Amino acid sequence: MAKEFKPSVVTANDLIEGDSVFLGALGWVRDIAEARVALSRDEAEVLEADGVAGEDANIVVGPYLIEVSVATGRPVPVLRRERIRVSGVPTIPFGVAAPAERRAA
Amino acid sequence: MYRYDEFDRRFVDERVAEFRDQVERRLTGALNEAEFKPLRLMNGLYLQLHAYMLRVAIPYGTLNGRQMRMLAHIAETWDKGYGHFTTRQNIQYNWPKLKDVPDILEALATVEMHAIQTSGNCIRNITSDPFAGVAPEEIEDPRITAELLRQWSSLHPEFTYLGRKFKFAVTGSEHDRAAIKVHDIGIQIVRGEAGEVGYRVLVGGGMGRTPMIAKELRAFLPKADLLPYVEAILRVYNLHGRRDNKYKARIKILVHETGIDAFRDQVEREFATMDRAAVTAPEGEMERIAAYFAPPELTEKPSAPVAFERMKTLDPDFAQWVERNTSAHRVPGYVAATISLKPIGGVPGDATAEQMRAMADLAESYSVDEMRITHEQNVVLPHVALGDLYKVYRGLAAIGLEAPNKGLVTDIIACPGLDYCALATARSIPVAQAISKRFASNKRQREIGPLSIKISGCINACGHHHIGHIGILGLDKAGVENYQITLGGESTEDAALGQRLGPGFGYDELPDVIEKIVDIYLDLRQGRRETFLQTYRRVGMEPFKEALYATAD
Amino acid sequence: MPRLIDRLGPAEDIWTVLGAEDPLPSSGSVIVALERLDEALAAGLELGVHLPNDTDPERVKPHFDRLSLISVDFPSFTDGRGFSIGHCLRALGYEGRLRATGPVISDQFDFLLACGFDEVLLPDSVAERQPPEHWAAAEGRITLGYQRGLAGRGSILDARRTAGDG
Ligand code: SF4
Repeated sequence: MAKEFKPSVVTANDLIEGDSVFLGALGWVRDIAEARVALSRDEAEVLEADGVAGEDANIVVGPYLIEVSVATGRPVPVLRRERIRVSGVPTIPFGVAAPAERRAA
Repeated sequence: MYRYDEFDRRFVDERVAEFRDQVERRLTGALNEAEFKPLRLMNGLYLQLHAYMLRVAIPYGTLNGRQMRMLAHIAETWDKGYGHFTTRQNIQYNWPKLKDVPDILEALATVEMHAIQTSGNCIRNITSDPFAGVAPEEIEDPRITAELLRQWSSLHPEFTYLGRKFKFAVTGSEHDRAAIKVHDIGIQIVRGEAGEVGYRVLVGGGMGRTPMIAKELRAFLPKADLLPYVEAILRVYNLHGRRDNKYKARIKILVHETGIDAFRDQVEREFATMDRAAVTAPEGEMERIAAYFAPPELTEKPSAPVAFERMKTLDPDFAQWVERNTSAHRVPGYVAATISLKPIGGVPGDATAEQMRAMADLAESYSVDEMRITHEQNVVLPHVALGDLYKVYRGLAAIGLEAPNKGLVTDIIACPGLDYCALATARSIPVAQAISKRFASNKRQREIGPLSIKISGCINACGHHHIGHIGILGLDKAGVENYQITLGGESTEDAALGQRLGPGFGYDELPDVIEKIVDIYLDLRQGRRETFLQTYRRVGMEPFKEALYATAD
Repeated sequence: MPRLIDRLGPAEDIWTVLGAEDPLPSSGSVIVALERLDEALAAGLELGVHLPNDTDPERVKPHFDRLSLISVDFPSFTDGRGFSIGHCLRALGYEGRLRATGPVISDQFDFLLACGFDEVLLPDSVAERQPPEHWAAAEGRITLGYQRGLAGRGSILDARRTAGDG
């Protein structure tokens, strides 16, 4: 039996900048809050096709659907990997902040 | 160290120009992503979880102060002010933008550096012993051979679109610090019967989801035959290696499925029939390269200068650091000093631009302007006079890199894992940090003795967990991070793959589990000299299994 | 868009690729599949053969003097077996025309030439995005390589000696 459908958004990486982007109503956006959310399988198919069009147009790289929960209004990815990706940064202090944090500890 | 001549310089400049053009053609769509991806990978550029990642080659891990400063400059100009040193003696930047990468490569070229073939299904940068040219027992500096191979493998027309990545490592010492047994080709410099220098060639080692220890292909290869011989190996691999399944495409699988003897026959046949003279390096080339690696002129010095001994007494932390983080040098009165990039709770292998510059200063002032990057993600100052050691130590303390933990339980190797890596199934860095904090006490670490923990965030094994005394592999079990533990792995001349302890553990359990394993070892060891690995090899898996799983529920 | 490209630029393709079922013509230049080589050899045509990239190059060695063209299949540009096959064919003494057939990219042009190829035959999907100018620009982009003994590409190792002598 097919898996139950969960609301989904399309994400990808920006070709030039490399950061995570989401397919919004008027194009690719950086804040998942502005992402178009597919609420049915059919909508997801359309969304995915729009994502591929973004890759074909050399705007983004590697578009794919991620499942989200919309309980709070703002889409929150179901998978940990995607939540980390949406956050845009590692889960730990990194770079110049890392030694500073250790010194403070 | 090696310096570019006009030819090397033009080669790298032309390569940068080529990549600039490739980026432009990517942006216009002349190259689509499927076409561009291998091209960018072969210039070190990945697309990761949050951003592009650029992996810059530090050939055989050797660099000077000017080069390290350039790495710092790049970190500040085009990245977020830091970089990550890897197990293959490279540095990674985690946040470059595609449009800036040609400029970064151009900046690197000004200090004779590049990112050529640090990724992709080609012959990767050649790694070597971080103590090359320093180790007293060394037969010959392996970097001479590594440089010859670097040149031969750079943009090799026949071997740049291989079935899978292909890694070489070279050691010049019996004691293997380059992990040659887990490389596609491992080369050991040896002496033949008449005392002449040549190579022992191993093939088919590797990690990933099917880890294997390399097998001996040739017990002795005359030095002059190196290039035709490796060319023969690559040709057999390129023609016959599997292309149907990415996970079976490494040469280790070909060697395994063909059998080492039949594989050897194929290589020897190709070697016997090919036009060897056409491929062999011309006479004088090895000598030309070797001249760059002539040992620096170091005047012998007292092996226990009074001031140095006095500082050890006055500053016990310094004494500990000396004991742990310095190793023998072939010139009396000198040591090679290891800068640990594993401060307690730190990100293994990371260094900020400020730290890079401080290390460059120290190298210029006290180590004949030379540094090495190690397989363990640390930095070595290879030629430090004992009389200068305290100044070096103070300099490191000023930037928080004075941890006296080389080879100890907190000298953890960890891959970027789910914090950065698009392929990861679990996090590795926070696991390393939690374990590091658990064993923060220097006294306790010394009590435990040599113990390597290696952590990978997925089955690809970039964190080399298979060859850690304790290996940790992060997986995803129905949406939850789960970590499998292996025991008994080893990376040196008696390399071994770790054995699985049993069912995996949750993220939060790990520090306790590791602590328990360590406690069992401490309990079982026969005297303080018996290392974790020796104890494990003597008692086997059972006692560890019992203690960890018997009381589990 | 021209699909056949060699060192001099776009070229006219005089060869007819014979399908598996097509009858052998009585004259002209035809490329046959390896399975039909023996049959075609008997017919006395100007002959080319197309090799899948898992062919042992030794297989066609006995016919080198009858073959005016060998086409090596590149099912994708990342499958690099064809580079070794090209090299081996030349090493075995083949002197006729060597063609790379498949979706290779202009960035591989120098490598193909160095492995003994003379020309590439592209599918439209690649040819339409990579015009002849791209191939012309790619040729000789890296002036000298490090490897020795390759067709049409000088070696830094040899250049160093010459520079040193001069
Ligand atoms: S082991 Fe896996 S998670 Fe870690 S860096 Fe390699 S691919 Fe990424």
